[in-house]
Amino acid sequence: METKPQRPNSYLALSIISTILCCLPTGIVSIIYATKVNSLYEDGNYNEATKASKNAKTWGLVSIGIAVLGWVLYILIFGVAMFGALASGNAY
Amino acid sequence: MLTKTKTLIILGIVIILLGVLSLYFFWNPSDYDFFPKCPFYSMTGIFCPGCGSQRAAHQIINGNIVTGIRHNYLLLLLFLVLGYQVLLFAINSIYNKSFNNILHLPITTKIILVLVILFWVLRNIKLHPFTELAP
Repeated sequence: METKPQRPNSYLALSIISTILCCLPTGIVSIIYATKVNSLYEDGNYNEATKASKNAKTWGLVSIGIAVLGWVLYILIFGVAMFGALASGNAY
Repeated sequence: MLTKTKTLIILGIVIILLGVLSLYFFWNPSDYDFFPKCPFYSMTGIFCPGCGSQRAAHQIINGNIVTGIRHNYLLLLLFLVLGYQVLLFAINSIYNKSFNNILHLPITTKIILVLVILFWVLRNIKLHPFTELAP
């Protein structure tokens, strides 16, 4: 029997974090790939599993990246008004 | 060994995280208008699986864990998964064993995927038992 290569990381936690952090459904795509990693690995498709693992990581990081970018743009656009409101402590 | 750039990047991430945490610690996103709204919700009017996580973050770091989780139940799932990983890692390194990780079973990840999608659909139903899931 040939020895199994090491199980590729499914990035499940990363994909759940990106689903919660980001309002874009790219996190779901990441979870779908995380699911594929385990199924493919158990079926013996090690190359495919490694590919799915890379995809899960990419999609997870992309959606976290979009969220961070969104925050940065938001602060750049509304930053001044934001800190004005924080300083005066006005509740809406 | 860590290179200088890597150390700087990690330091930067830690500082940003601390800044964001204190932002959510001191100000409640429900009371202030300037927190960014979920772009998916703004565009479609449909809650996404992540909606409510800013309010949840505020409540949880202020110690109101139950109130926080009620804003977004996926946080509970995240805590369970992360907690399980950390616990398993600790047990395996302390006792020098390799217990099977149930998160490596295809069925577990499939259940999680189905749970997330179900959660997404159900939290958008505006009838009584499901409104609990809404952010």
